[in-house]
Amino acid sequence: MQELRPTATLRALHDAGVAFILVGGLAAVLNGAPVNTFDVDIVHSRDTANVARILTVLEALDAIFRMQPERRLRPNASHLASTGHLNLMTRYGPLDLLGTIGSNLAYEDLVSRSVELDIGEGLRVRVLDLETLIAIKEELGGEKDRAVLPVLRRTLEEKRKQELH
Amino acid sequence: MATDDPAPLTDYSPDGVDLTLIRWMLSLPPGERLKLFEQHVNEIIAMRELNAGT
Repeated sequence: MQELRPTATLRALHDAGVAFILVGGLAAVLNGAPVNTFDVDIVHSRDTANVARILTVLEALDAIFRMQPERRLRPNASHLASTGHLNLMTRYGPLDLLGTIGSNLAYEDLVSRSVELDIGEGLRVRVLDLETLIAIKEELGGEKDRAVLPVLRRTLEEKRKQELH
Repeated sequence: MATDDPAPLTDYSPDGVDLTLIRWMLSLPPGERLKLFEQHVNEIIAMRELNAGT
């Protein structure tokens, strides 16, 4: 059975010193939204040193592109330096590396819109904030994005109420 | 047994979101949310595999 181990994926990236921001469904979960997802989505810094660190992690995780898995195509430095999206399968489950999200927002644009969360055992992960997650999903406007918006908006409202008390 | 207690037993937003579930998630620290999610998703996968082809 393929087991999903998002914590192990985040641990591998963290321990290798990769600069990244967790986005997508898992970021929503860590922000307290009761939603489901099956992949880990990150926006990574595309600077040369960071790309090299990511490649080391991807090799350790045996990452291949999910498209045409039988060909076992592996991502390279030029893939990681691009603004595109890499949909990978690793030994710990699906991992999407996103050069940019929304209106061409890169890692550097998103750092100020993220929070560092402690997820236990010394693991601290930078996670996109709920306000930005909502703004990006509103902007994308696809059916899948619209479907999750009510839960994200209500989670944000509840969070703000709790912060007031 | 009938009850006259007027306190509501559910709390949904006007667009149908279960607010009790959100409050429960928010009551957990982020690490617990992640553990719970991981466990939950793996149980779904196991159930799906048990029923593959049906």
